[in-house]
Amino acid sequence: MAKEKVVVKPKKKKIQLFDIVNYIVFIILGLLIMVPIWKVLVDSLNQVGVYQFRLWPEQFTWDGYRVIIETEALYRPFINSVVTTILGALLGLVLSTLGGYVLAQKTLPGRDLLAYFLLFTMIFSGGMIPEYLVMKELHLVNSMWILVVKHGINVYNLVLMKNFFENIPESLYEAARIDGCTPAGIFLKIVLPLSKAALASIGLMFAVTVWNDYTNVKIYITDPTQVNFQYKLRNMIMDGDTPTTAYQVSQTTLFNAGIVAAVLPFMALYPFLQKYFVQGVNIGAVKE
Amino acid sequence: MSKKVVMTSTGVPVREKPLGLRIWNNRGYYIMFLPVFIFVLLINYWPMLGVRYAFYDYKPVGEPVFVGMKHFLKLFETDAFWNSFKNTLELSIMRLILTNVASIVVSVFLNEMGNLLAKKTLQTLIYLPHFMSWAVVASIFSLLLSPSATGMVNGWLKDWGVIPADGMGIYFLADSKVWRPIFYLINIWKETGWGTIIFLATLSGINPELYEAADIDGATRLQKIRYVTMPALSNTIITVLVLNLAKVLNMFEPVFVLYNNAVYDVADVISTYIYRQTFAIALPNYGYSTAVGLFRSLVGGALVILCNWLSKKVRGRGIV
Amino acid sequence: MKKKLISMLLATAMVVSLVGCGGGATEEAAPAETTTEATTETKEEAPAETTEAAAEEYKLESVNMVVNGTLTATVDNGQADFEKQWEDAVGVDLIIQQLDHSGYVDAVGRLFAGGDYPDVIIMSADMYAQYAPTGLLWDMTEAYENADFQARMTLPAINEALKKDGKLYGFAPTYGNGCVTYVKKAWLDAVGMTADSIKTYDDYYNMLLAFHNEDPDGNGVKGDTYGVIAAGFLGNEAPYINYLPEFWQDAYPAILQGEDGVWYDGFQTDATKAALLRLQQAYKDGAIDPETLTASTKIAREKWFSNDQTGSAGVFTYWAGSWYQTLTDNLIKNEVNEELVQLAPIAEVEAIGGYLNREAPVWCIIDDGDGDNAREQAIFDAFIETMMDGDVVQTLWTYGAEDVHWSTKAESFKTNEGTDKEKAYEYAEGEFHLKQSPNDPNSVWKKNHLDPALVVCELTNGFVDTAELAVAGNKFFTENCIDAPLSPASETYTNESGTIYDAKLAVVTEVVVNGGDVDAAMETYVATVGSIIDQCLSELNQ
Repeated sequence: MAKEKVVVKPKKKKIQLFDIVNYIVFIILGLLIMVPIWKVLVDSLNQVGVYQFRLWPEQFTWDGYRVIIETEALYRPFINSVVTTILGALLGLVLSTLGGYVLAQKTLPGRDLLAYFLLFTMIFSGGMIPEYLVMKELHLVNSMWILVVKHGINVYNLVLMKNFFENIPESLYEAARIDGCTPAGIFLKIVLPLSKAALASIGLMFAVTVWNDYTNVKIYITDPTQVNFQYKLRNMIMDGDTPTTAYQVSQTTLFNAGIVAAVLPFMALYPFLQKYFVQGVNIGAVKE
Repeated sequence: MSKKVVMTSTGVPVREKPLGLRIWNNRGYYIMFLPVFIFVLLINYWPMLGVRYAFYDYKPVGEPVFVGMKHFLKLFETDAFWNSFKNTLELSIMRLILTNVASIVVSVFLNEMGNLLAKKTLQTLIYLPHFMSWAVVASIFSLLLSPSATGMVNGWLKDWGVIPADGMGIYFLADSKVWRPIFYLINIWKETGWGTIIFLATLSGINPELYEAADIDGATRLQKIRYVTMPALSNTIITVLVLNLAKVLNMFEPVFVLYNNAVYDVADVISTYIYRQTFAIALPNYGYSTAVGLFRSLVGGALVILCNWLSKKVRGRGIV
Repeated sequence: MKKKLISMLLATAMVVSLVGCGGGATEEAAPAETTTEATTETKEEAPAETTEAAAEEYKLESVNMVVNGTLTATVDNGQADFEKQWEDAVGVDLIIQQLDHSGYVDAVGRLFAGGDYPDVIIMSADMYAQYAPTGLLWDMTEAYENADFQARMTLPAINEALKKDGKLYGFAPTYGNGCVTYVKKAWLDAVGMTADSIKTYDDYYNMLLAFHNEDPDGNGVKGDTYGVIAAGFLGNEAPYINYLPEFWQDAYPAILQGEDGVWYDGFQTDATKAALLRLQQAYKDGAIDPETLTASTKIAREKWFSNDQTGSAGVFTYWAGSWYQTLTDNLIKNEVNEELVQLAPIAEVEAIGGYLNREAPVWCIIDDGDGDNAREQAIFDAFIETMMDGDVVQTLWTYGAEDVHWSTKAESFKTNEGTDKEKAYEYAEGEFHLKQSPNDPNSVWKKNHLDPALVVCELTNGFVDTAELAVAGNKFFTENCIDAPLSPASETYTNESGTIYDAKLAVVTEVVVNGGDVDAAMETYVATVGSIIDQCLSELNQ
């Protein structure tokens, strides 16, 4: 501890230039990222639609958000999104931790075979129509549960999970094995508690995928009570033509509010998850 | 992939037991894998039986008719397909490299940031774009990049005198010369922050003692990045690159929402080509699009085998 | 030749590699078998059951319909009431499956591929042309000719035109409607022009130039506005040119039938070349919003009536009738001067007969293929016959559900209450009127599926919507329109229409946006799809 103090002091002096450059670069970067987002945010609170960039709304209004909260056609998809995202992330986590854990067992007979069994699906797919027919057989067409099931397996995430598990020191496994723990026991008692960072980030990845899914809704769901928010939002923004009908046209304010609403849950969720990201340090500390 | 001699962590060779016994001893693992197995079989493998339609004329109405290699012959003779094939490789590999390089640079420098609050705020900020779907991103950017008087970026360029004020704005999304750079920029904007998650996780796992040792040796910040941080990241970088390389041919949404008929020559990818051949037609022939998809899968398969080989060469083990 | 050889080699390689990785193909349950299995939803039309009940008095229990966005009474907009009142009136269970409007064609393809055949389905003219020869659609010629509504038929020509070799596979309850050119009155005033003075293409073009070069929106900046905006220089569905008729004029850039009955490619004509050059000039001059290339109809629309008129255009060619009302409503909502002028066809457009009336969408009945017509006739009677009954059911299709979308009860309500756009409505007992939209109290309901001004058999109960602009718009259109050319249907065309369309867009973009040479671009077109077009033409001209 004492040693650290000695080291820290000169470090602070030596690298001030580096820090300044670093901060400046990040401030510029942050601004660049913020420009489009800020525009959306401001436009969502602005009564009048404008094309140019404004720092603040000219005529402030909450109406865009009020419409989303009050219109069933908008809040119902939002609820569907929340439900499918939570369940989808859970299912995704269950399957990818199970699969990742098993694949992380280097000495397991047939491990490679199982790995190739999964990898193959990354490359080959039956195509849209065969998939549609199978989903129909499974009674998932026209139901929002398709969103949960469709994203259940993500080989990419599964492999990431496996890599996280492999970082857990072998000694911990062995100690548990000597104590008579079963594979499932080790999984639940040792692996999962040590993998909170991985669970949080992979879970978030699943959640974002399910939340942002538009294509599967478009292909499998025709019942308006089953669609998700992303689909509704996209239709609001880019809806095709409906000739000779009096389509109620959405306003710039409304769809900007929609965009913000679509990002909001993650913004709200993120601070809680960040805590777990930091725990990644602990895994590393145990390592080696 | 499987090593001949299995070692325990202490380096003592374990004598191989008979296979049957080993399988029985590991039954717990197989049972745990069972849900994954069944799920993948149902959701992924069952539909694969449909690839045979690549050899059929298969329309919404009527029974499929076997046509042999007809669709493939047509495919190989179509310039538009080869164009899309070429674009797919170029766009997705470039995108993969650029966004990951950006992510690595950002995460390394973010990691150097001493102020925890600033670090956290920035992290949250740069993740934001990833939470937006591609459709939303496209609608935002096509508004900002519009060539008409409503386009914000063109307005700025005119104000700063980069382009003549009375001339026409740059048609960013419909000009073959600038479309790709814009496409990469938008991808970098959207995915860089998110890409840092994995790298930052790895960085947070670096043993602090390594840095301390470097300090004692009198290393500068940049030297520490070069000799401590980067080596620690290399394994993650390779994993991410290799895994993504297997998926490059599937790129659809980013292109689909940003391209248009003026830039087909530089933007059309296999998936968007399939999309137009299937969806833009009143009575589509699914056989043809299945054939395109099958061809794509075969090339993708070859890529994965290549990646696996590369991975083994570079770091001594395969993708998984 | 070399290309062919490479193709053959690659194809062979495909077979070999497929054998090499033929895993997975061993499972028994193949999707093809699943397609023939009837699911719960299609129970009513399973062939076996219908054969059993093939007697004359076929008992129809339900009608399963598939419809696109043209059924305005959506789930969020009182569909349940519409369905209930329809069922009460007809005595048959109605199952509505409303598909996404923008992906309709492809969603229908999936339904069919999955074996989910509805009883009735709405199809665009293009879909109808492709599906009619497949045997999927029931030949309703006889049912149509013996229908009760024939007595009230005012526009028999619409459905006569739909017959293929004398057989009718779909029924069009309305004519197709089309687009007319709207001009912002305030902008005309600002540049000192009147709509009456726009008689020729030159007048029209000068107006567009004035809108670009002057300051019609009055924001003090010249050159930040445009003459006209559209969703694409060349539309993606028939009649392709309807969003920019003044530029296309006598050109029809698609396969069409000449007066001599011979099919030819209207894209490879001098008329098309001339039109492309006009567009090229307009793009260069700023008469046309450059964003036209990539704009969707929605973007074009919103830009046009946007609250921020910077970058907007003075002219917009869009759907006639109720859209006249809708565009005006939106301008009001966005606090833009709302007065619009419908531009009479300019001389060059008048020369082809006026604005194009697109081919009408049709309702088709799915043939179960059992050789017996009892079921299909029963569906016709329950669904199509009643749709044109001139009374209760037709009103449902035209205006929606009673006391939900419309009413004859005394009532008064206000829209935009409490704002300066507030408007009050007051109706006496017995007076037919449209109510507020179920999902938006600030707008008045306009119509349901059928446009009262376009139907082939008029309502006999005297219910008339009094929305002035919609009525005026429809009248204006019918006075100034001509039927669009028929869509072609041939094996090759069906398979290759996507490729042909891509090739056309390449020409349009090259010439209009990149300022390329029109002859060179046309040569590329011929080189790319010329042989496909020839194949289509020879099939069509057989």
